[in-house]
Amino acid sequence: MILDDYEVSNVIQIQINSWLIMIENYLPILIVFILAAGFVFVSLILSHFVGPRIDNKVKMMPYESGVDPVGETRIRFSIRFFLIALLFIIFDIEIVFLYPWAVVFKDFLTMGSFIFFEMVVFLFILAFGFVYVWKNGALEWE
Amino acid sequence: MSNLNSLSYFWPELILTGTVLVAIVADLFYRKEDSFKVAWWVLGGLTLTMAAIRMGGSAVTDLFMGTIALDPFAEFFKVLILLSTVLVILISFKTDELKNYSVGEYFSILAIMAFGLFLMASAIDILMVYLSIEIVSIMSFFLAGYLKKSQLSNEAALKYVLYGAFSSGIMLFGFSILFGLTGSTKFFEIRQALAGLENGANLALIISAVFILAGFGYKISAVPFHFWTPDVYEGSPTTITAYLSIAPKAAGFAMLIRFFNQVMGDGTAMINDSWSALGGLPWPQLMGVLAVATMSLGNLVAIQQNSVKRMLAYSSIAHAGYMMMGLPVMSNQGIYGIMMYLVMYLFMNLGAFFVVIYIQGKTGGESYEDFNGLGWTMPFIGVVMALFMFALTGLPPTAGFIGKFYLFAAVIEAGPQFYWLAFFGALNSVISLYYYVRVVKHMYLRGERSDDVSMPSSNLVTVLLVFLAVPSLVLGVYWEPVANWINQSLVLLSSGM
Amino acid sequence: MITGNIITDFCLLILFLPVVAFAINIFIGKRLPRQGDWVSVGAILITLVLSLSMLMNMFMNWDPNFSHEVQFSWIDLGAFKIELGFWVDNITIVMLVVVALISSMTHIFSLEYMKGDIRYSRYYAYLGLFTFSMNGIVLANNLISMYIFWELVGVSSYLLIGHWFEKNSAANAATKAFLTNRVGDIGFFIGIMLMFTAIGSFNFQDLFSGISQGMISGQLLTLAGVGIFLGAVGKSAQFPLHIWLPDAMEGPTPVSALMHAATMVAAGVYLTVRLFPLFSPEALLIIAYVGGFTALFAATIAVTQNDIKKVLAYSTVSQLGYMILAVGVGNYVAAFFHLLTHAMFKACLFFGSGSVIHAMHHSLHELNDQDTDPQDMRNMGGFKSKLPITYWTMTIATLTIAGVPFFSGFLSKDAILAGTLAFAKHYPQHFLLPLFGFGAAAITAFYMFRLIFMTFHGEVKMPKVFKGIHESPRAMTFPLILLSSLGFFIFYTLPYFNPFSDHGWFTELIQASDSVVKGNPTAEEIYEGIHHAHYPAMALSLLVASFGIGMSILMYMKKKLSADIWAAKMGFLYKLSLNKYFFDENYNRFLYQPVLKLSQAIAFVDWDLYDKYFINGFGRVTKWLSFLTGRIDYEGLDQKLVDGVGRTAQGFGNQLKNVQTGRLQNYMLFALAGVIVIIVMQTI
Repeated sequence: MILDDYEVSNVIQIQINSWLIMIENYLPILIVFILAAGFVFVSLILSHFVGPRIDNKVKMMPYESGVDPVGETRIRFSIRFFLIALLFIIFDIEIVFLYPWAVVFKDFLTMGSFIFFEMVVFLFILAFGFVYVWKNGALEWE
Repeated sequence: MSNLNSLSYFWPELILTGTVLVAIVADLFYRKEDSFKVAWWVLGGLTLTMAAIRMGGSAVTDLFMGTIALDPFAEFFKVLILLSTVLVILISFKTDELKNYSVGEYFSILAIMAFGLFLMASAIDILMVYLSIEIVSIMSFFLAGYLKKSQLSNEAALKYVLYGAFSSGIMLFGFSILFGLTGSTKFFEIRQALAGLENGANLALIISAVFILAGFGYKISAVPFHFWTPDVYEGSPTTITAYLSIAPKAAGFAMLIRFFNQVMGDGTAMINDSWSALGGLPWPQLMGVLAVATMSLGNLVAIQQNSVKRMLAYSSIAHAGYMMMGLPVMSNQGIYGIMMYLVMYLFMNLGAFFVVIYIQGKTGGESYEDFNGLGWTMPFIGVVMALFMFALTGLPPTAGFIGKFYLFAAVIEAGPQFYWLAFFGALNSVISLYYYVRVVKHMYLRGERSDDVSMPSSNLVTVLLVFLAVPSLVLGVYWEPVANWINQSLVLLSSGM
Repeated sequence: MITGNIITDFCLLILFLPVVAFAINIFIGKRLPRQGDWVSVGAILITLVLSLSMLMNMFMNWDPNFSHEVQFSWIDLGAFKIELGFWVDNITIVMLVVVALISSMTHIFSLEYMKGDIRYSRYYAYLGLFTFSMNGIVLANNLISMYIFWELVGVSSYLLIGHWFEKNSAANAATKAFLTNRVGDIGFFIGIMLMFTAIGSFNFQDLFSGISQGMISGQLLTLAGVGIFLGAVGKSAQFPLHIWLPDAMEGPTPVSALMHAATMVAAGVYLTVRLFPLFSPEALLIIAYVGGFTALFAATIAVTQNDIKKVLAYSTVSQLGYMILAVGVGNYVAAFFHLLTHAMFKACLFFGSGSVIHAMHHSLHELNDQDTDPQDMRNMGGFKSKLPITYWTMTIATLTIAGVPFFSGFLSKDAILAGTLAFAKHYPQHFLLPLFGFGAAAITAFYMFRLIFMTFHGEVKMPKVFKGIHESPRAMTFPLILLSSLGFFIFYTLPYFNPFSDHGWFTELIQASDSVVKGNPTAEEIYEGIHHAHYPAMALSLLVASFGIGMSILMYMKKKLSADIWAAKMGFLYKLSLNKYFFDENYNRFLYQPVLKLSQAIAFVDWDLYDKYFINGFGRVTKWLSFLTGRIDYEGLDQKLVDGVGRTAQGFGNQLKNVQTGRLQNYMLFALAGVIVIIVMQTI
């Protein structure tokens, strides 16, 4: 059907209204987002274009609490930290699994000792991993 | 079915787990030179697993409270996965690349990967899908980078890790949208919820489907999610390349079929021979275009390759494309075609890779030039490789032809709107002939003929190659048993409990 | 075991063991110790044991109606199904034993005969291939498998006849054999297709029931029957496709014994025996005449041949004619009986001739004599004292073939001749058939004893050669002894002991079934007729046999009559016979040459007339046009389109190759881009 101008704008109006009703609750978030991003962008752009720029050697040096920088900025640190962190995560998760188990332990005990052995199996499997790690020397520091 | 009751149906996977544990521990007690012996433990465990599958009866049920399905469909893929794992382990004994490496973990990780693939083929819950994909992916990262001293291998592993994480992220995002739309993680509940949705949620459904497809597509190397494939395949040890080219692809297809057939389908697939997606998702066109893109890209770039190993990598992309032709159809016929093709593909592709592995050991290289004159100096290898090349092209009377035949038949029977798919499929087969026959050309028409004729120096290699070559030829003539097996396996768990 | 039925399992083993031996020998035979002959010999001996145990089983069950059929589904596409399978009944079991026995004797005989041959392992491999193919024919239960194995047997024959392919004559003989067989096979195939079109199945039982229901009848049925029979004509070297068998003697003698005496050529007879119920009366008549004529005509050629193997070859053609004649007059059980006895004695005769030739070879080799023909009987004579075992075994076999009582040949020939007499009594217009039969019997006795006398008796023709002759080693004499002893009547008449009656396990266990074609007499009627004609036939056959043997003794042993004078007196006939009636020459003149000339003529028309005319008439226009289109074609089409397609593929490949940048960030970018593109495409 062919709408004249008045009817067209009416239809658009109705559609905008329904859309607004839907996202009404989320409007504050959008405003915060715009404000935060805007703050960042405006300050950066303004300082870049408006502020003065004079470079000298001292100003461009990396900051090290007022002292002259000594040595390289990149230090190689031992990969063993990474290994330990990995192992920690795995066994920490294992412990995390123990918590909810512990919570329901007493209640399930009424159905027999099954619940105990279930966790033993779980720990047993992870013990294999532990033995593997141990024997392969991942726990040695040197 | 509750967790406890499910355990008694879970024997194959439990045995696999036990194998892994035993293998890990066994590895600790072997010296570095003896580390190959771990393979025997793993092989033993895999054999027991196969026995457990065969003896497991034919229940069709869900396990572990609706997260895993136990049906003949999953069993089919489990058998394929086990077979490829065993074959790859066997050839690993004779590969040159793994010398001087401690291979205990290699074999254990292969077993873990098999376990993950089992889960992939059976998953019917979103979280289980993600879990299984991650298991398989992480183990593949590890195996791809196994050759610590080779820069190529490390590069392959790193690219694989990063890209895999990226894809998993996208896939998870898609899953979370799906969860948001339907409120459940289990496939069947999702389907019920989707069926009740009004068309308003169309866009979200499409987005989630595409994101999920991105994740699955990464696993089966579909365009445009295939970019990791050439680099990873080239850098990995060739045995792993061979494994990656078949096992995760098979499991990936299983997952794809299960997910899109069961979740997104309107449930008529298994009854009628047609299929339409829920929510108006234009599935046939989408998958058709992706399939054609995949096979075309795979074939066209394979032409340019100078390394046989990389050529085979691209060719595996192309084959994934052929198999994807069964997806737009997604009827019984289409799935049947995909399964048939996977069986044939296992034999011919593994065979081609095994020959490359053997040649790598002999001549130290994997380019076409390293194959010069092989047909005359090593006639057995020459004949067998020629067979595999012709099978991969899809020439009768090899098994490859039968696989393609079933796929084409499924596509054509689905109706005239799919004829263009079949056309591109045929065109691509023709193009592929070029680079496959190029190998045969180098073997027989290049290099000097010498009278120094030899058989493979190892009996194991000969037996493996014969074991792969015979079905590649015989199944092209007499494929009744395979057809019967697939018919029996075409039973998917289709209602939730 | 594998299939749950021990008979099927045995058949599978019997069928496949020889071909496994073939595969082993053909690929790694040269590298095995002793070149792998023990692989083949082992396989065939196991096959023999299995066949014999099936025979024992048959005796224990004593069931004349035993029949066991098993089917394997090969292609099943719903509407179109092909099933292959085995059909085992008493005939099958006996035939399996024949094949296994003769094949094992050949394997053992060849251990000595082919010692030191340059292609020793390949020879044994091909023997295995042949045994496999022959067993395939025996076990087949449908026309398709039979045809496949039929062809395979032809291939094995080609390979084995041409074993010494350095000799042109051998290579030509192999080709001739194969091509002549092919001609017969065309007819076979047409017959198969006619049957299939009418009835819709290849399976024998289905065909029989189809015919009895009248799905195919009259002229079409006769045509199909004749077509199938043509296959037998080719394979069993009947007139007019007999030309290949004498030439096939170029192959090693054990091969001649196995294939061209006992088994392969018997395949044609086996086919007609198996498919007897589906031949119409007209087809059977044609069969009878072809067989009878061949029997007589080949015998007349054998009379004048001087090469010991050629005599035996023509004798084989003649004996096969007998068997075909028997099938034609309806007594197919007698045909099968003769097949059985013939296999034994003919193989024995061939082995014996092999022994003689082997001895001649050795002797000539020591004398460094390249010119004398070791197979020519005119160079022999008096070998009886030097080759005693060979002499006695061959003599026993000759007595058998001549139809002397107390031997098996007498019983089987007698049955056939009785059949022809009965047939002629019933249809007096076909009096020629018994005439053919008895005539051939007389001549057979004559020339067979001629062979014995010329080779083993009389004066030594070449003393120097004679000195170097000695008896053959055990591996060669053992088969001779075994096979000749199987020529005694007793083995076929058990549990009865009457040497003048063929009543025994064979006639009790192998019973004729009725023809399913209307108009044919039933098995009962045939049996009745034979029974009545039995004694007249026996008397007549004794008469003609003694006449033949008598003439032979007179001419060749006592030298009362001179062969040369008789040859001169019947000069024209003698020449005809010696030159095998100029068959090959006539075929060449009237068949091969005209076809070649025709193809030459067509080539002339095509090249010299049509082309020239074409060029002259349209040449100039075409040249001009072609120049024009050439430019369009080369630059436009070729460069751009045809090459372009190829280059496009390459180019695409090249471009696409560059997409694979190797940088991970790009991979992720492309994947994301792909995802977005797909989503956008969906929503549009």
